[in-house]
Amino acid sequence: MNILGTGIVFTRGQGMDSFERALLEGWRGPGTVASPPSIHKERRAYLVEQGALSDRAMLKKMRRADKLSKMAVIAASEALGNSTVKDMNRKKTGIIAATALGAHVTTFDFLDDILEYGEASVSPTTFSNSVHNAAASYISSVLGIEGPTLTITDFFFSFHNALQLAQLWLREKRCDYVLAGVAEQYGSVQAYVHDTKLTAAPDGRIRPFNFNPSFQVPGEGSVFFLLSHNDADKALCAVHDVLVDNGGGDVLRRDLDVIDADGLLADESPYLKTLSEDVPVASYTPLFGSIMSGSAFTCAAGVRMLEKQMIYASPVKENPHRLNIAGETRSCLIELIRCIRYNCYGKKAVVYLRKK
Amino acid sequence: MKNKSVLITGLGVISAAGNTLSDTLENFRRGSSRSGPVTLFETTLPYPVFEVGIIPAPFLTESQRTLRLALCAVAEALHDAGLEDDLSGYRAGIAMGTTVACQLNDLDFYKSCRDTGAAPMDPVDLYVKGNIAEFISRRYKTSGPSLTVVNACSSGADAIGAALSWLKNGICDIALAGGADELNRVPLCGFGSLGIVSHEVCRPFDRDRKGLNLGEGAGVLVLETENSAEKRGRAPGLCLTGYGSASDSYHLTAPRPDGAGLEASILRALADSDIQSDEISFVNAHGTATPDNDVVEGNVLGRLFGSGLNMLSTKGYTGHTLGAAGGVEAVFSAAALREGWIPSSAGFRNRDERIPLMPVREITNITGDYALSTSLAFGGNNAALVIGRRQRA
Repeated sequence: MNILGTGIVFTRGQGMDSFERALLEGWRGPGTVASPPSIHKERRAYLVEQGALSDRAMLKKMRRADKLSKMAVIAASEALGNSTVKDMNRKKTGIIAATALGAHVTTFDFLDDILEYGEASVSPTTFSNSVHNAAASYISSVLGIEGPTLTITDFFFSFHNALQLAQLWLREKRCDYVLAGVAEQYGSVQAYVHDTKLTAAPDGRIRPFNFNPSFQVPGEGSVFFLLSHNDADKALCAVHDVLVDNGGGDVLRRDLDVIDADGLLADESPYLKTLSEDVPVASYTPLFGSIMSGSAFTCAAGVRMLEKQMIYASPVKENPHRLNIAGETRSCLIELIRCIRYNCYGKKAVVYLRKK
Repeated sequence: MKNKSVLITGLGVISAAGNTLSDTLENFRRGSSRSGPVTLFETTLPYPVFEVGIIPAPFLTESQRTLRLALCAVAEALHDAGLEDDLSGYRAGIAMGTTVACQLNDLDFYKSCRDTGAAPMDPVDLYVKGNIAEFISRRYKTSGPSLTVVNACSSGADAIGAALSWLKNGICDIALAGGADELNRVPLCGFGSLGIVSHEVCRPFDRDRKGLNLGEGAGVLVLETENSAEKRGRAPGLCLTGYGSASDSYHLTAPRPDGAGLEASILRALADSDIQSDEISFVNAHGTATPDNDVVEGNVLGRLFGSGLNMLSTKGYTGHTLGAAGGVEAVFSAAALREGWIPSSAGFRNRDERIPLMPVREITNITGDYALSTSLAFGGNNAALVIGRRQRA
């Protein structure tokens, strides 16, 4: 399965060029978040500025949509724009939107409606935007895509399941193209849960190689990939394999491991077991924040590295376990990258990305 | 050679129409419909709903009602399939659709969090541990894929479609697939605000229909490759032959007036099954009883299958069970094919002149080999499943 285009919206902009700039420039501290009056606490997070969602022509078609849907539509549109595919048959193009938490912010807005105005006086617009598949629906209607449109939610492995299913849809010729990706929005309730159950990074710095204790900084954004078996000549790279909870499994010879350690597991030590001294390891979570479906952002970095044949320096290099960290940005031949995510049950998901 | 390689080896269902499949069929025979006011939570909304009466005791161990319903249907389906509670010896996957179980929408938790900046974490823990596919996977020790589909009202059908892809592509040998949803305040208020909930018992496809009633339940199929079923000595009479899905690309809440997305999904499911439209013996329609849904769906079905089609909606027995509906109705369709009859379409009295066909008004014998079940979702997704008889009885 080839990746023909990648689109991203994250804290430092939209589009793969913005993401590459962030990969080159390295770590920056998160912004400060205005908390509700009841919460006497300053919080930090990697948020997408509303002003960054600036495609007016596109957003005109979704004026009533929430931020989650807007981020998803822009990322999906960027993925199409980032590809060189012309005359795509939109009836044979599918959408798989993966999300860990979905439209939780809009759901809480709807609960506000119930509490403030009563059950019979709630907003139908807020309700319809709170449904999990609203973002995928907007992608379909704004971009004119008429193939299968699916939303899935599997917490840490949401993105991996989306990729796996996209592979099958393409193999069965259910679709010629699939837009598969993730979208997540930051919210104050989520931040409260993070504060209660996890450790916030005291200086706003996720330390992906620390493992235990781990430190999180919430993030938000969206990433979409245009996938196909067609147009191999236009591919940025290929998804060689997607493995979810495959136990030991065969580990392929690769040029780089990229881990999704981001502080969302209190103990991230399982990552240690899977790394090898011979293979450099990187993590880019400090650039976009702690996001349950953040593997898609990691894969976006992998796509750009394979495309440019360049390994980007890990933005935070603290290395208490003396790992072989990719500490400097450098050009090199890269054939295969392994992207790794663990969930809270100690299960592992892996995406192998291969040079085209 | 028809596409009959994915077998249905087990069925399980719970809804207001019955706690088991045999209960349900008995109710279908009697034509009895059990709607009433909401009793599961306090509400000011006067809409009738279809609640599950008493969930059997063995399934009350979980706090989340959706999980209780799901486990009830899964247990029946596994028993029907001759499988035990431990699936670790099989390459088994779980694909489940839902709408309510994917949301952290506990009103007390949220109010406390909002007003005081703090709240007990129990609802969060239930939510995190309650991802429905992941939960069932842990409970039954499966080692294959697990997928929670949250595609609004087509979630259950889409989950079954995903499982079909797994089995056809060798990702697993057995899959538990379907949907589950509990009756919940948020969709009750939300659908009410959209003006599509009826103050009366729903009347799918009827001229005087006034909207849907919400329900709750779970429906699960055990799907299995021929090889796997053969190894276990099972020779079921049913198979899942096709799945189609297509988007309206039109509107967040309204179906596309020309029904092009629904038509595309049905045609894809027929093509998947390698059959023609005249081989469909009956259609279990989505039939929510909203004015828009039934006109669009009725016209597409009339266009594709003609006005003589045996068609029904079972929402008059179950209400709209949202993310469960595709699973519940797939079980009903499979059971009807196996039994050789479909129930009357509860609630229907008068023909709507804008719809070119009528649902059946009495128990109707069916003789063909294929059934179609359709699902239309919020957001404009449409899904269709074709279920087949493997051999004539």
